[in-house]
Amino acid sequence: MVELDNQKEAPIPSDYNEDSDDSDSTQHSDESDFEDSSADKDGDSSSGSSDSDSDSKSELEDGSPAQDNSGDSEDAESQDEDDVKSEGGSEGSDIHQEGVGGDESDSSEDEVAPRNTIGEVPLKWYEDEPHIGYDIKGKKIKKKEKEDKLGSFLANVDDSKNWRKIYDEYNDEVVELTKDEIKIVRKLMKNQAPHTDFDPYPTYVDWFKWDGAKHPLSNAPEPKRRFIPSKWEAKKVVQYVRAIRNGSITFDKPKEEDDAYLLWEDDSGLTEKANHLAYVPAPKQKLPGIKWDLNFGVQYNISFSFEVLLVLIISFCLSGHDESYNPPLEYIPTQEEINSYQLMYEEDRPKFIPKRFTSMRSIPAYENAMKESFERCLDLYLCPRVRRKRLNIDPESLKPKLPNKKELKPYPITCYIEYKGHEGAVTSISVEASGQWMASGSSDGTVRVWEVETGRCLRRWEIGEAVNCVTWNPLPDIHILAVSVGQDVLLLNTGLGDEEEQQRIKELLLVDSPKASEETGKKAPSVSWLKDDKHDGIRLRHLKTVTSVEWHRKGDYFSTVMPAGESRSVLIHQLSKKLSQKLPFKLHGLAVRSTFHPSRSIFFICTKKTVRVYDLLKRKLIKTLYTGLKEASSIAVHPGGDNLIVGSKEGKLCWFDMDLSAKPYKTLKCHPKDINNVVFHRSYPLFASCSDDSTAYVFHGMVYSDLNQNPLIVPLEILRGHANSNGRGILDCKFHPRQPWLFTAGADQLIKLYCHY
Amino acid sequence: MGKHYRPAGKKKEGNAAKYVTRTQAIRLLQISLPLFRKLCILKGITPREPKKKFKGNDKTYYHVKDIAFLHHEPLLEMHRAIRVHERKIKKAEAKKNVERANRLREKTPKPKIDRIIRQRYPRFVDALGELDDCLTMVHLFATVPATKEKKIDVDLIHKCRKLAHEWQAFIARTHRLRKTFVSVKGIYYQAEVEGQTITWLTPHALQQVVPDDVDIPTMLNFLQIYQPLLGFVNFHLYHSINLKYPPLLDPELEAEAAVYGLIRYAQSNNKPTILETSELVESEQLESKQDGPEIQNKKSELRLAQLQHQLPSNEPGALMHLVEKAAGEDGEEYDDETKQCKNLFQNVKIFLSREVPRESLHFVIPAFGGMVSWEGEKAPFAETDQSITHQIVDREAQGHRFLSREYVQPQWVFDCVNARIILPTENYMVGRIPPPHLSPFVDYGEEGSYVPDYAKTIKHLQAAARKEVLPLPGVEKDLEDPQNLLAEGIIDRAAANQAAKEKQKLMILEKQYHEDLKKELQGATYTSAGSTEVIQTGESLNNGQANIDDVDMAELVMPNKKRKLLKAMEISNQRKQSKNDTIIRRKKKLDEAQNQRS
Repeated sequence: MVELDNQKEAPIPSDYNEDSDDSDSTQHSDESDFEDSSADKDGDSSSGSSDSDSDSKSELEDGSPAQDNSGDSEDAESQDEDDVKSEGGSEGSDIHQEGVGGDESDSSEDEVAPRNTIGEVPLKWYEDEPHIGYDIKGKKIKKKEKEDKLGSFLANVDDSKNWRKIYDEYNDEVVELTKDEIKIVRKLMKNQAPHTDFDPYPTYVDWFKWDGAKHPLSNAPEPKRRFIPSKWEAKKVVQYVRAIRNGSITFDKPKEEDDAYLLWEDDSGLTEKANHLAYVPAPKQKLPGIKWDLNFGVQYNISFSFEVLLVLIISFCLSGHDESYNPPLEYIPTQEEINSYQLMYEEDRPKFIPKRFTSMRSIPAYENAMKESFERCLDLYLCPRVRRKRLNIDPESLKPKLPNKKELKPYPITCYIEYKGHEGAVTSISVEASGQWMASGSSDGTVRVWEVETGRCLRRWEIGEAVNCVTWNPLPDIHILAVSVGQDVLLLNTGLGDEEEQQRIKELLLVDSPKASEETGKKAPSVSWLKDDKHDGIRLRHLKTVTSVEWHRKGDYFSTVMPAGESRSVLIHQLSKKLSQKLPFKLHGLAVRSTFHPSRSIFFICTKKTVRVYDLLKRKLIKTLYTGLKEASSIAVHPGGDNLIVGSKEGKLCWFDMDLSAKPYKTLKCHPKDINNVVFHRSYPLFASCSDDSTAYVFHGMVYSDLNQNPLIVPLEILRGHANSNGRGILDCKFHPRQPWLFTAGADQLIKLYCHY
Repeated sequence: MGKHYRPAGKKKEGNAAKYVTRTQAIRLLQISLPLFRKLCILKGITPREPKKKFKGNDKTYYHVKDIAFLHHEPLLEMHRAIRVHERKIKKAEAKKNVERANRLREKTPKPKIDRIIRQRYPRFVDALGELDDCLTMVHLFATVPATKEKKIDVDLIHKCRKLAHEWQAFIARTHRLRKTFVSVKGIYYQAEVEGQTITWLTPHALQQVVPDDVDIPTMLNFLQIYQPLLGFVNFHLYHSINLKYPPLLDPELEAEAAVYGLIRYAQSNNKPTILETSELVESEQLESKQDGPEIQNKKSELRLAQLQHQLPSNEPGALMHLVEKAAGEDGEEYDDETKQCKNLFQNVKIFLSREVPRESLHFVIPAFGGMVSWEGEKAPFAETDQSITHQIVDREAQGHRFLSREYVQPQWVFDCVNARIILPTENYMVGRIPPPHLSPFVDYGEEGSYVPDYAKTIKHLQAAARKEVLPLPGVEKDLEDPQNLLAEGIIDRAAANQAAKEKQKLMILEKQYHEDLKKELQGATYTSAGSTEVIQTGESLNNGQANIDDVDMAELVMPNKKRKLLKAMEISNQRKQSKNDTIIRRKKKLDEAQNQRS
């Protein structure tokens, strides 16, 4: 049957190939190939599986997916097959036989009648029968005797062609497949054309023999249209031409090359830009070696001209040859120096470290070239441009021209006398109106009176408490000292002057004690006037510590300041009537000092931040001066009365011109430490300040009678000489009433007199 | 009522009326920020500093008029059109209509920059005055690699290179170059054109790396104005010396030595219009007028090449001489400095070795009147030419040497140019480490500035060349004429070396002598003032104290503003001084080390 099949199908290729021998030979070669592979398979089977039957089965099973595709029934069968496998090999092979047979039956059924004629009935029906069916004549076909399994196994093992054998259950016979058939099966499994000799891509054979053919296939004459111009085309052309003429068709313009031309042909007439905004050309880039320093937006060193700078850039200057590829050796920093750059602040660090290359060929490409260029671009379009005046100033020229000091003489220059004797810091000094005597109070609890010219200590009071302030009565014939000690103010009789004067002084210093007690009975006074027997004077008992005492010019009134006294911090006392009264004004801030106007009934109170000016007669506030200081410490009024100076604890000195403004006319920052006192000279245009930095400054402060002319302030001299003790320097300074001399009281227990020669 | 309440209907006043912030400006113009930036770059509009920054310190302010100026700018409309066009292209591409997309792409409207250039620089001088940045940028982009991802076009780079070469050729042809400086960052050139000092920086002839933190589009925006600007400037300059622009070059020569080729082109093409002796050339020009500019250029170029070949081998520079002579006769007026520059390398013939960075030397040497050749097919003369006076070599050792010429390192050329004299070559000989290369931009006139040794030496040589100061008798002969020195060097190098050594020794001796003299003088004053010394010192002490006080006194009265200014000045002066001091200290150390070694 198989043979037949083969013959039947063989003619197909023979249609193509003239000689079928060829195909045969290929067939043979195929066969041999196949045998080789089968031999391999055999080897596998002998080694891998014991049952060759099952092997054959597995071989076919490989293709089962292909069969699966054909339908679900098949799938079910393969399921069955698995079940059957356990029962016996014959059963499984049956099923396969059926499948293959089914394939074959299509072609073979018509020609050869099967021996079994039962038709398409289930074989199950014959399972229990001794026959498998009937042959064509109606005779029963007996079932063959079944070999026992062992025998069949042994036979199978011996037979190398066993894997090709398939049991045909229908006819109850074993069929051996030929090699061709197996090939067909395989091809089918691959979904290829089943016949082995079928070539899906044959080379094209041109059966028509062209050579020698003199005539074309068609004998038709050449059509006329090939010689006559096309009407349609002509129409189209006319259409286009018209369209072009009408302008409805436009052509692409030839690509324009943006060539250069003479742009600035006649620019002689032009001077300025049409754009009316001020145009600021970009500043040129810094060149290596040209020094452009920008410090805080200030430029100098280049002549007076308007130069442009970019506001945002602060360029760092390179000193000359740094950028050279081969700079002088001294321009190259050592390794240590380069390392030390790491410790610097980012902005101080040099941006460019000079390097040296020994030849030009060794210069590498500069890695920051693009970046620097880009930064320049950013500067060019993102920086606001501002014209700025570049100052060509020698730093010295910034300093104001001061008048020659020689013309401003006399003023205290050198230390002339030192008054020694105090055993504590001298806190306060005061000079008598005649200029002959000087009183000093010290923290050692003594008050001394000195003769100015000789330095002799005339008198000494043991008070026993640190003295805050000492002041002479301004009248030359009343030799009374006001001394503030803790919460008390003592009025002492110095015992100077002739008999008459002494008499008057004693009368003044006489306190009617019962009267005082009366007063205490009436109301709680802020101050009690008591007789001080020990020192032969008056003791004014205050509620709080008194820091300063200031006399009125007429010598009858004096004021005291108690910073902690709140509403009673500033009191005015009358000596002749032994009366004390508080100011009827509200003080804003902590009172520091107070002073009287040198000629009018005006009273100044210096608080920490302001100076308040009161009219005592009209009893009202005239003016408030704003110092702008953090903490004022002292105040002094010019003998003219319109100017005053305020010293502060931050070392600043403010000069107020009261006619000018409520703000300082000039603020001088002279001392690094607290200013302790400021004074005006009574007759010379001098003023001085002393501070904890152990220096005293002497200034020339000329006030002109012409209102248009501002006061002239010239610093003259720095007086040094005092030593610093416990962080305190000069605690007080006073001018001599007549001479241009300055007394300074230091924390180093000394009092010094500076004279003008 | 707020602080800045303005009643309805009342106009803004003051700064608020004059300035707008950037955001306001962008809203007004209805454009994107990148486009706004681009317009600002093209139009040269920068932010302003209002006296009062009414919207805060962190804002950028523009003048209202500037923004109005932008508002009326046709470029704005052009960019809108471009945007529309780009949308069309996108659409065509999305529809896979490649043909249409390509056609549209070609038809993309291109903004014209010439009007803007004219607006920004109404006069040619204005353009020249602001050419520095333009030149630097163009020269930089001539060395940048073309990359697609950064959108740096090849054409752009070629254009940049071309423009740069043309500029250099003009400068060299007209001998306008004044100073050069080889720095680590590149080579600085300074030229003087129409009274404007133009300085630019060219990177070294190595390819630049484009870092990622650089915004290339911004730079390309700048190039968009710089390129045409330089084109127009070049045109104007070429026009001013009767040259056709753009010049066309023999591609081979261009590949080898573009600048040199251009210079030669400039010189040779100049010739017919000035000289008009050669009928051939004249007729050729007539011809060329009909033929069109390109053909003319090519022809002239060809002719030039022919001429070059016809010239006798021992006189290859004859053509150039001819041209220069003609130029001189024709009364091309040069100022003194230009003449000096032109004649610097007049008698020098330089050959460049293979390894020498060619581009800069091709530019510098002809700019100072020298003749230059190199190893290549198109070179004007060969290495074997006997008339070569100098060969520039940049290697460790030179194998084969011609006795008739000096072998020097390239730095010699730059130093000569800066010093404006021909420097003795022994320091620059092959294998040696050349003397330090000094910046010509440094002004030593400033008081207290440090002057390096070599600068002093050069100054001395310059003075000798000018014959202003007669040096010491032994040195006189050597320094009398640098040419003499040169000749001597050629005749006998050993002798020249010895002479140089002698010269150095003598210089040292001279210095010492001067110092001794000074010391003596000082000593004399001391002895004479010996009797009053004590008093004087006492007084001076007092004076010193007084002076210190004086200074302090003046500072006391100064207003705060001035005091701060003064302090700032003092700080900067100190910084400068300290820099100077470190240099001097290092110098001292070096000297000591040298002394110890010797």
